[in-house]
Amino acid sequence: MNKFMEVLENVLMPIADKLNNNRYLTALRNGFMVALPLIIFGSIFVVIANLPFLDKVLSESALESYKNALDPASAATLSIMGLFVIIGIGYKMVEQRGGESIYGGVVAIGALLVLTPQVLDGTGGVIPTSAIGAQGMFLGIFSAFIAAELYQYFVNKKLTIKMPAGVPDAVSRSFSALIPIAFTLTIFLVIRIIFSYTPFDTVQNFIYTIIQEPLTVLGSGLPATIVAVLLIQIFWFFGLHGQIIINSVLDPIWFTLNDQNLAAYQAGEELPNIVTKQFIDTFIVGIGGSGMTLAVLIAIFVVAKSRQNRELGKLGIGSGIFNVNEPVIFGLPIIMNPMVVIPWLLAPVVVAIVTYFAMATGFAPRPAGVIVPWTTPALISGFLATGNNIMGSVMQLINMAIVFVIWVPFIKVIDKQYYESEKNAA
Amino acid sequence: MKRILLACSAGMSTSLLVSKMEESAKERGIDAEIWAVAQDKAPEDMKRADVLLIGPQMRFMKKKFSVTANEVGIPLDVIDPVSYGRIDGKAVLDKALELIGE
Repeated sequence: MNKFMEVLENVLMPIADKLNNNRYLTALRNGFMVALPLIIFGSIFVVIANLPFLDKVLSESALESYKNALDPASAATLSIMGLFVIIGIGYKMVEQRGGESIYGGVVAIGALLVLTPQVLDGTGGVIPTSAIGAQGMFLGIFSAFIAAELYQYFVNKKLTIKMPAGVPDAVSRSFSALIPIAFTLTIFLVIRIIFSYTPFDTVQNFIYTIIQEPLTVLGSGLPATIVAVLLIQIFWFFGLHGQIIINSVLDPIWFTLNDQNLAAYQAGEELPNIVTKQFIDTFIVGIGGSGMTLAVLIAIFVVAKSRQNRELGKLGIGSGIFNVNEPVIFGLPIIMNPMVVIPWLLAPVVVAIVTYFAMATGFAPRPAGVIVPWTTPALISGFLATGNNIMGSVMQLINMAIVFVIWVPFIKVIDKQYYESEKNAA
Repeated sequence: MKRILLACSAGMSTSLLVSKMEESAKERGIDAEIWAVAQDKAPEDMKRADVLLIGPQMRFMKKKFSVTANEVGIPLDVIDPVSYGRIDGKAVLDKALELIGE
């Protein structure tokens, strides 16, 4: 068993290292971090605009104008989150290279806008919000990567305008970004022109059809979700932060699915997706952290007799409520512990399947596209993520019960060992 | 004054450890500044730290952080998982002091 663990660890460590330290994935993750405050701001106002009791106290027209008054908050942030993510990616890409990062941000968004048809239903002079929302996010991410790389490449090539001596430094610096940005955006313009001669017509259309659509369809399915959940658990089993590793690959897909639901939710239509960012964050992870360890802690409180486990329960519960679970993962311990490998891998998969079908059949509401901060305690997060629906909390409660039932026999066995050895030591 | 920097994914779980380490430092009369940051902020903060300790779940970052640590000339290591799980402030503080070399 030890040999086997060693081999697996040797396989997983380099993967974690590669994924976490990959330049593009790092910029992507940090780009999302840049956008997060705006995403949360928009989410808060979606929640306020859809408070559950309002339709009972307000007249229909009052409710309408109340919603209309609050709508810009999410329309200007959450619905066009791609804009902020892309600026963040461009900024972080150039920052990594030690360049002037703000130009990375503007060249990234500039490149996307060059590729964007600025016309909607025959009206010119508009930037469709879909281009900078979830639908445009994939193209935005790629164009941000390429634009920032090109910009930095031209900067490194010293393709800047040399000013004669005597010109103030500030003046020559104002020109230093000119040529790299001009070259970069010219390349994007050429790309746009080339695509206008293809059957796809626009780059948007090309990326959407060839990459985004297939990937989101794949990512919204149960099999891919189970694989993702299992991978998160396996990484954590080896004491590696599975969440941060897997998320950096899947966040673009999960956020896109999330935004599709948000658009439908705000239009009062049926929510298209079950698996979204919040499906993972709220119903699989957000019950005490990866592996839903809040339910494991409850199992410890209910059945554990050993001093070690009792201590662990006290130590872990405070942070566990806010979904920080390192004390449990390293304290029980879960890492490298063959005694817990079965419930650790099994429980989240069962929960994912149950939640998926509960939402598919309409028993539980689907995530409404609101982004809930990951430190939000369980039950509250379920309520918020489903658009203020108490059944979201009920679903989380059911998931907790599932995890609890799966874990109890294993906790009993572990606890018996600890208890015996404590008795013998005393 | 010992300046001890801890880093993990979001600086959440290491901040649990910070308060325990501060307690332990206070008990022993050690003058220490201890703080926790998210991984992407670590290289910046390393410039004003004497030592960097990495949460074991982020140990795959050690190689990358080593580069910056070498540049600014501070030691670094991964926190032992057992001490991390127990939020054992005393043990981790000992480790930090040992790395600083005093």
